[in-house]
Amino acid sequence: MADLDSDSRQLLIPEADHEVHPGPMNIQFESSDLRSNRPFHVEPTNIVGASHVAQRVSDRAAAMSKRIHYYSRLAAPADQALVAPDHVVPAPEERYVYSPLGSASKLQSCPEGSGRNSSLVTIFMIWNTMMGTSILSIPWGIKQAGFTTGVCIILLMGLLTLYCCYRVVRSRATIPSVDTAAWEFPDVCRHYFGAFGQWSSLLFSLVSLVGAMVVYWVLMSNFLFNTGKFMFNFIHHINDTDAVLRTNDSNPVVCPSAGSGRPDNGSAVLSADAAGLPQFEAWWDKSRTVPFYLVGLLLPLLSFRSPSFFARFNVLGTVSVVYLTFLVTLKAARSGFHLEFHWFEPTEFFVPEIRARFPQLTGVLTLAFFIHNCVITLLKSNKNQEHNVRDLSIAYLLVTLTYLYIGVLVFAAFPSPPLSKDCIEQNFLDNFPSSDVLSFVARIFLLFQMVTVYPLLGYLARVQLLGHVFGDPYPSVFHVLVLNLVIVGAGVSMACLYPNIGGIIRFSGAACGLAFVFVYPSLIHILSLRHEDRLTWPTLAFHVLLIVLGLANLLAQFFM
Amino acid sequence: MEESDSEKKMEKENLGPRADPPIGEPEGSLGWALPNTALKKKVLLMGKSGSGKTSMRSIIFANYIARDTRRLGATILDRLHSLQINSSLSTYSLVDSVGNTRTFDVEHSHVRFLGNLVLNLWDCGGQDTFMENYFTSQRDNIFRNVEVLIYVFDVESRELEKDMHYYQSCLEAILQNSPDAKIFCLVHKMDLVQEDQRDLIFKEREEDLRRLSRPLECSCFRTSIWDETLYKAWSSIVYQLIPNVQQLEMNLRNFAEIIEADEVLLFERATFLVISHYQCKEQRDAHRFEKISNIIKQFKLSCSKLAASFQSMEVRNSNFAAFIDIFTSNTYVMVVMSDPSIPSAATLINIRNARKHFEKLERVDGPKQCLLMR
Repeated sequence: MADLDSDSRQLLIPEADHEVHPGPMNIQFESSDLRSNRPFHVEPTNIVGASHVAQRVSDRAAAMSKRIHYYSRLAAPADQALVAPDHVVPAPEERYVYSPLGSASKLQSCPEGSGRNSSLVTIFMIWNTMMGTSILSIPWGIKQAGFTTGVCIILLMGLLTLYCCYRVVRSRATIPSVDTAAWEFPDVCRHYFGAFGQWSSLLFSLVSLVGAMVVYWVLMSNFLFNTGKFMFNFIHHINDTDAVLRTNDSNPVVCPSAGSGRPDNGSAVLSADAAGLPQFEAWWDKSRTVPFYLVGLLLPLLSFRSPSFFARFNVLGTVSVVYLTFLVTLKAARSGFHLEFHWFEPTEFFVPEIRARFPQLTGVLTLAFFIHNCVITLLKSNKNQEHNVRDLSIAYLLVTLTYLYIGVLVFAAFPSPPLSKDCIEQNFLDNFPSSDVLSFVARIFLLFQMVTVYPLLGYLARVQLLGHVFGDPYPSVFHVLVLNLVIVGAGVSMACLYPNIGGIIRFSGAACGLAFVFVYPSLIHILSLRHEDRLTWPTLAFHVLLIVLGLANLLAQFFM
Repeated sequence: MEESDSEKKMEKENLGPRADPPIGEPEGSLGWALPNTALKKKVLLMGKSGSGKTSMRSIIFANYIARDTRRLGATILDRLHSLQINSSLSTYSLVDSVGNTRTFDVEHSHVRFLGNLVLNLWDCGGQDTFMENYFTSQRDNIFRNVEVLIYVFDVESRELEKDMHYYQSCLEAILQNSPDAKIFCLVHKMDLVQEDQRDLIFKEREEDLRRLSRPLECSCFRTSIWDETLYKAWSSIVYQLIPNVQQLEMNLRNFAEIIEADEVLLFERATFLVISHYQCKEQRDAHRFEKISNIIKQFKLSCSKLAASFQSMEVRNSNFAAFIDIFTSNTYVMVVMSDPSIPSAATLINIRNARKHFEKLERVDGPKQCLLMR
């Protein structure tokens, strides 16, 4: 576009002289000016590829574009004389990037603050991204903390993480000197804390990713095992009544961890061709064999160069959550509420309302409410940027409500007279036997969803780790294979040795939450205020308290 | 006080008609066919203040928009006592009661085009009394030697009666001083009218203007700077000012057929308005003339920033080759060849040879030696 500053120098020459040949004027021009003022310079991004079905600009529109371009050269920037009025310029929805070669492409990249998603879509996207598999551990977490404490902690953690998320969203605005339009939160950390910030944010991000992938592996083995068992029993008409504690009705709830460990000698009612059962149980074991079978399925998927194929299945996550809600409601409706309030002492069937183990719930919730490493990107596509904070708050509210709903319902409806509340498993679907149809469907949904999300997580881990260490997300098949084997190995070993998703979630949640939720946003806020000399004692005290809380959260996971 | 002022002015006037002094060459021109002492014919661009004349001139002639010096001057002038107008320098100096002199620009342009026509811009019927007085006192001078009067009406104006009144007084002056002048009326700023009403409103205005202009004939156009109507109106005006346009077109056609061009355009030099064109097959883009004109004018602006002047351009790709080059003293030519195998040199030689022929055509009208003097 025209270098209008030097144009304005022309305007100081009186009109009459203009027809006189100007003579060598004292205009400074850089050779770079020439390059930038080339009249037909078209940014490469504006050329639509030959394979695209290029939209051609109408002649009228091309003429108008040329006209506006030409008129802008005639007047100084301050002059309003030849600025196109609103009724002449096309509406914002109809604007295209026009190449003088005649083709047009709709603006793809949204410059700062001009996304195209309505508030509702943004809120849904945030909700969808936050809803992870930690929803399965919320009832267990409430049980570990006590019912009242649990509910209070859920609300408080929601507020706390929302505030820290708000700090993350505002962190880019604290950097006035650099163009931060394409930055994510790790880039902000790098700006404030240098290389240490970059590497530590990478490390913690990887912790959360690898933690999630390990959890996925454990859950996938679990669901695959149960699915296989259900189908085997269904085909061979085996009525599976293991020696586990269960309720006596048509849709039982079981307590797998009570009793004498795993029922090796399952006293199943055998039907005629049940001879294969012991062999089946030998080959199809939750922690000994099934995790390995998954390797054959998932390791190839992990090696895909681009995960865009899997991104299409994003909708399965929402469907799973909706189905889980429906399942929980149904079960609760059948079972009714079983709540008793004992404040400090446990009873045979109930847990106290306040327990010392509540940090386990905060650990789980840190991961459950975690979105801080990608919230900036998600909010960029919001149409009305001034509603960002409002939409974020609404999304957090909805997430909190969802977690509360499922957690409270499962906990309250857990049939306590025959079974103790302590029986609530870290994955609440484990409380339903593999013969239960509704939970079978839920497991299938979740299995499919996880199989599609797992390669995405692997891709993210690969891009971050290999991208930062080697500079290239796909340096060679060998590198990628080694990384995949490491991740898969971790998943398999956890599934074999320590398949407690609650534990894995709380440790990884507290660890990466320490960095991204508690420490970095608060530190950045304190530092930016100190730069501007606006730091007050209350603010400092509050944010230091947040940092201490984060540390305490992590340490408590080891001790409580 | 004002009486003595106008008497002073009249005294200066009575020195007789002053020939407009030699004016510097417009940028980009190389050698005029005319001796400088020939009388310049005028094109008057008139209209109420704020009707869009300055923007129109800037766009058509690729000038930077002048700051609104006249308005600035007028408010100061209202308070001062005497005034000298020196139209040859297109400035006026003010001498106040103490004897200090200050100089201002009169909005008075010396843009040249179409051979030897000079464009003068005048505000007619504006609010400030200074210009009114000046206008009335200088009337005869202003309206002498006028070839073309272009009067601009703002379609949104609320004072239709007043507009018509001023228009009529201009016509009277024309009738007295240059009865052979051609009259064009532009109903401007049509983009502010809703699309479905444009035709209706324009028809109304046209009838009124025709009626008012009798016995003179006027041609009316509706224009807006935000669509192609402005360019088309000025192209029509220019087209009507060329005496031997049919012959020109015939020659252009022969030229095109000989060199096997797809299209040949003849542009006026200063404004790149299309004077005539020949095309041998249907062209897709109806807006191409204005687009080319805008592109070249913009390029000329860029060239002038570097103290260079635009002379010629060749655009070539695998499908076509286009040549834009100086043609005669008043025109540019654009030749579009769709056979890229013909080497540039061949076309350029053809253009150079044709140049001589067309120059002769321009001089065909004898001693006046200009394409457009009558």
